[in-house]
Amino acid sequence: MMNKLITTAAALLLFGLLGVVSAQEGHPLKGSWLGEWAGNSVHGDNILLILDWDGKAITGMINPGTDNIPLGKASLEPEGWVVKLEAEGKDKDGSAVRYVIEGKLENLELPNRSINGTWSSNKGRGTFTASRQ
Amino acid sequence: MKLRGAVVVGCAGVWAALGGSLAVAHHAVTAKFDDANRLELRGIVTNVDWRNPHVHVFTNVTRENGAIENWAVELESTVLLKRSGWQHDTLRPGDAIDVSGPAARDGSRQVWGESVIESATQRQVYNVNDTGPSRPQSPRPTPRAANGKPLLGFEDGAGGYWAYPSSTVLMQAGANVQMNGDGILARLADAPRVAPFQPWALGVYRHRQERHLADDPGFLNCKAPGAVRQFQTPYGVQFVEDPARQRIFVLVGGGNRNYHIIYMDGRDQQGQVQGDDDNPLYYGRAVAHWEGDTLVVATTGFNEDFWFTNGGLPHTDQLSLVERFSRPDYDTLRYEVTVTDPGAYTQPWSSSWELRWVGGEDLPVYFCQDNRS
Repeated sequence: MMNKLITTAAALLLFGLLGVVSAQEGHPLKGSWLGEWAGNSVHGDNILLILDWDGKAITGMINPGTDNIPLGKASLEPEGWVVKLEAEGKDKDGSAVRYVIEGKLENLELPNRSINGTWSSNKGRGTFTASRQ
Repeated sequence: MKLRGAVVVGCAGVWAALGGSLAVAHHAVTAKFDDANRLELRGIVTNVDWRNPHVHVFTNVTRENGAIENWAVELESTVLLKRSGWQHDTLRPGDAIDVSGPAARDGSRQVWGESVIESATQRQVYNVNDTGPSRPQSPRPTPRAANGKPLLGFEDGAGGYWAYPSSTVLMQAGANVQMNGDGILARLADAPRVAPFQPWALGVYRHRQERHLADDPGFLNCKAPGAVRQFQTPYGVQFVEDPARQRIFVLVGGGNRNYHIIYMDGRDQQGQVQGDDDNPLYYGRAVAHWEGDTLVVATTGFNEDFWFTNGGLPHTDQLSLVERFSRPDYDTLRYEVTVTDPGAYTQPWSSSWELRWVGGEDLPVYFCQDNRS
């Protein structure tokens, strides 16, 4: 619960300060994403994603500053704009939580494009949605 | 006056015919207007809104049922219309006109004025016939600075700039892909041949093409025509050389009418402290040196907030350019560019074209922000 509150507060602070969505005409996943992995009892419903592209690989972090879950494998398939993100975090007992997020990148042309799909882990599953900030 | 109602004429084969006029538009005309849905209107002019980026002639059209509709006929910029000899009062309220052209994609009462004919005289008006300055019969010698290097700008007091690029679209050398002047492909299947794309970049390029370049931030948000694009716009660029300060200022005539600096003082390719050292730029950071009579400019540090070409080729902040400028004669600027962007392309690629000298003038006054709320 505390994690959820902290994440939400951090998100509000971060994106409140940013104000408007910044333009991004490069790699469509690059940027900051704010959303929800519904029903996530381990890391809370809210999610922050920072994604980057170095020319060869998509890198990033889930909930930076709070949960600090680094992305493992990540891919974007232009055919259908299918996004797949994998990451391994820990629950409060230190046990591994292996996440897989699968979704579709929508409104590609907009700065506040979105990813909609599902998340799953060894601790649960649910719907996933995030929009670029 | 009896007026003919709006008539929709389907015509799929006009793409090529439109290409020439589209090349000089501030934005892709086909982003807003549908070549395959053409209209013919007869109406009475109610107002001429003579402003950039596009002039509009508002026209009352009487439908067959007697209802009167007001239509907006969109035209080129005031700059291009004036160059073709037209004035704000070439048409006046009350004049009858016949208009034909592609209709607005969104179904609103707007039409691109591909042909506007004054009904009373059958004279075609507001057409753009801007072929640029005529070339001298024999090439004039390249003007040179005191150090013997070619002048890329104008001689003292003379004025002049570069415009009328021989190509307004960018593709890798040898690609020979058919596209119109705005960079819209004749065949989407040709997209992979335009440049050595990474898969995501090809996907983004195809997406922009499928949307007829409607999302071009240069039009939507007046973003700068950075990198290569500034040398393929209809309003040209002007070089102002300042040898005492070892800088060349490149003034951009279109878009949001800004400039960038090419440093000639031998500095390293790095950002300026408290300036652009951690802040990538629309025009990047450019340093240059002479190789014989060719100015070689290396530029890095681009941001990702703009389209670096007409036609929507994507780039990343890993983009770097090597541009080679030469002036083989007084009236010709040769531009050669090598594009390196490992974030978006699998290998470096090159292209080249020429621009023509417009002597005795400064850049036309054009702001894409005009006529916006």
